[in-house]
Amino acid sequence: MHKVFVYALSTCPYCRAARAYLDENDVEYDVVEVDKLEGDEYKAAVEEVRRVSGGTAFPVIVIDDESVIVGFNKKRIKEELGL
Amino acid sequence: MSDATARRRFAPGTTIEDLKAYMGPFVDRLGYKFNTESSFVDDVLASELEILEKTGDVYCPCRVRTGDPKEDVRIICPCISFHRDEFAAIKKCWCGLFILKEVEDGSELFGVIEALSGDVEVPVFRVEDLPPGQVRHVKVGKNDIAVARVGDEFFALSNVCRHAFAPLADGFMDGYHVMCPWHGWRYDVRDGTTDHPDVDVRTYPVTVRDGEVFVTVRIKR
Repeated sequence: MHKVFVYALSTCPYCRAARAYLDENDVEYDVVEVDKLEGDEYKAAVEEVRRVSGGTAFPVIVIDDESVIVGFNKKRIKEELGL
Repeated sequence: MSDATARRRFAPGTTIEDLKAYMGPFVDRLGYKFNTESSFVDDVLASELEILEKTGDVYCPCRVRTGDPKEDVRIICPCISFHRDEFAAIKKCWCGLFILKEVEDGSELFGVIEALSGDVEVPVFRVEDLPPGQVRHVKVGKNDIAVARVGDEFFALSNVCRHAFAPLADGFMDGYHVMCPWHGWRYDVRDGTTDHPDVDVRTYPVTVRDGEVFVTVRIKR
């Protein structure tokens, strides 16, 4: 089973679509909604997203601590997870 | 995150229709239109209204605010002006709220928000926005570009004079030449050449299509 982590924003349509797609395919994943964090936690999460993805676009999907997919790129998610 | 200092540009009670009326004409001049998927447009604008309530402005729903005003201003919708080259490469803004006018089916562009690399035609303004015999500055990605019009021909060259780095778009046109506003150096807008050896400026391909002017730039990743 793949280890999947999603950085999301509660306001982001692509984040909702990506999570719905993972749910539909019974993919287990951990998620943090960055915009719901506050203070130092928020800053740390933003920095982590920047470090992992090189930017501040969402969603950021990290698979097996190796592959990073920015946005709801269904084709890449499918390939990486073998769906 | 506190946004107590944000100045409010929108009246309380702003609606999705208000945002459409405000954004539509602006993006039209940049070569874009609202996505053809109207329910998606309403979904995104509803998110923006939520963000507006929290922050006082319509930040992009797919981008996080960093707290740095200079960086965050680049994600206030519509943010096309700040990301012309990236958006032209993916034919839409990040979230897909806006798509290039030439795209017929916006639903085909959903999802991907990673910018591509390579040569990309970037819409910069409409033909009627630059009268013949004039020159204007456009920022395309990291490139400062002067776009000049001679009759019905358009040309694009670096906006930076190689002598003392003056903005060429502040100069004036003389036939196919633009005169630097500071010290009068003359550049041929067709090929970027000057009378001085080895200090020509870079030029960019320009195309005109359906009343829009496009400049081709290379995106490197």
